[in-house]
Amino acid sequence: MIVIFLTPALILYALVFLYPVIRTSVMSFFKVETVSQPVSEWSFYGVGNYIDLFRSNLFNVSMANILRLWLVGGVVVLAIALLFAVILTSGVRLKRFFRSVIYLPNVISAVAMGTMWLNYVYNIDYGLFNNVIKFFGGDPVMWTGPVTLFWSMAIAYGFGMVGYHMLIFISGIERIGIDYYEAAGIEGANVFQKFFYITLPLLKGVVRSNIVIWTVAIAGFFVWGQLFSPVNLSNDTVTPVNYMYELVFGASSSANTARNTGAGAAIGVMMAMLVVIVSIVTTLITRHDDVEL
Amino acid sequence: MAKPEKLKEPLNLKKEVRLTPGYLLCAIWVVFTFVVVGWVICASMLTSSEIFSGTMMRTFFERLTSFTLRFENYVKAWTTQKVSVFFLNSLIYTTISCSCIILVAAPAAYALSRFKFPGNALIQNLIAAALGIPAIMIIMPLFGLVTSLKMTNTRFTIILLYIAMNVPFTIFFLLTFFKNLSFTFEEAAAIDGCSPIGTFWRIMFPLAQPGIITVTVFNFITIWNEYFMSMIFANKTQVRPVAVGLYNMIQSMRYTGDWGGMFASVVIVFAPTFVIYLFLSEKIIAGVTGGAIKG
Repeated sequence: MIVIFLTPALILYALVFLYPVIRTSVMSFFKVETVSQPVSEWSFYGVGNYIDLFRSNLFNVSMANILRLWLVGGVVVLAIALLFAVILTSGVRLKRFFRSVIYLPNVISAVAMGTMWLNYVYNIDYGLFNNVIKFFGGDPVMWTGPVTLFWSMAIAYGFGMVGYHMLIFISGIERIGIDYYEAAGIEGANVFQKFFYITLPLLKGVVRSNIVIWTVAIAGFFVWGQLFSPVNLSNDTVTPVNYMYELVFGASSSANTARNTGAGAAIGVMMAMLVVIVSIVTTLITRHDDVEL
Repeated sequence: MAKPEKLKEPLNLKKEVRLTPGYLLCAIWVVFTFVVVGWVICASMLTSSEIFSGTMMRTFFERLTSFTLRFENYVKAWTTQKVSVFFLNSLIYTTISCSCIILVAAPAAYALSRFKFPGNALIQNLIAAALGIPAIMIIMPLFGLVTSLKMTNTRFTIILLYIAMNVPFTIFFLLTFFKNLSFTFEEAAAIDGCSPIGTFWRIMFPLAQPGIITVTVFNFITIWNEYFMSMIFANKTQVRPVAVGLYNMIQSMRYTGDWGGMFASVVIVFAPTFVIYLFLSEKIIAGVTGGAIKG
């Protein structure tokens, strides 16, 4: 019975996860031109794909982009998410309403969300941000101009992610026993003391989960990069996955890249390694945590 | 701000004052979200020149009060821009995949959570690992495989991929649901001569209903909004789901300057998940927190 129940799931797993992961890993050490090229035509290239990638300017730019998105975006998004989680668990009214609205962007298609940001919030003529600036007497800003494009994209992306991470923080905070707070309250602790001496230390495991989830999301960052630079890869929005798409599927008109699936596979391996490294490092740091999420 | 909807506790003014900064931050965030989504809905009922006029909201209220709001943008998007095709495709993909995911994942989750056998822990770890594998790591071999089988741009391939990609998360989510059910049900069924497979479908599966509904709603939203896989595997209008369809439409409407039509398409695409969320937000939120629990 166990066999019958597990077989369909395991077959699908082997087909869509196990086999592709192994093949991508192997492929990253070979010179492979197109995805459908048979194995017999692959030629061993060692770590050549990786070296070529790090010699390519666009790839380095894409790595720099996701690293700053990961670090700066991660710190800001997780901080705001934690702030909202603390507010919503401190006994405010309309908690469910606030929580639902803050999470809302996550149920809307990223393409729809991105279009709203690009064509309304950031619009130069009638956009929300520029209207607010004009209201206060400032000069309109070109939000999607070359200087601000990356951070405009990061803000639009981060805005949606806050709700998701907030929910995980909330469920972590709700697992912390109420007696801790009551005891601290009797001892005369204020909001900030309660936060720094009870909430934060007991949330280590949850923070770790959030960091890993954020890393997984950033390693697959693609749609927003494409939405903010739809025609050609641009230095401001290119990410490794956008670059891989260009190398392997060669969609856009920019002829600066030849088809190179081996290099694409190497990018995949590096993104997967990023996730693995972050989850190992964060596990080591938060090994002895009290609230397990 | 502290308008009590449910009077569970008496209004404690001192406490509410202390919470004011919190209320203020939440209010700003919520108002911003409403303004953005609301503006797009308003704009979808106006012409492109009205949107650009600078007095868009005034025009909108004038039309609203005189009952002259235009729905041509929607009609145009639905028929000439082929939103109907994408919408129908997405409906087919989501309904079939969501059902099949449960058929595959529920028995597997049951077997993993209720029975001890060699390899159980290994399988659970493999499934948890799948949640962290970026799509970029699996997409190339899959595309190679599908191309060599000449199965690109078929509904079958897309549905199969959606099923396979969401099975790990669903198993992971359902594990805890089956774990928490009492063993007495199985014992009673065994005494009455019910086979293990029969016990699962007739007794355990219905008992896990709340979890199954939650995870299905969650899967529905994931698949409805899925972009990366369908962009690569559904390259033709006839098989495109909404997210990729919308992306292509937006690119062409930018050049033609059809802003009203673009916002109408955006609204049509987010409407289904938005409406589901209005009614089932608690379930979806439970899905997020349940699914994020990993080691």
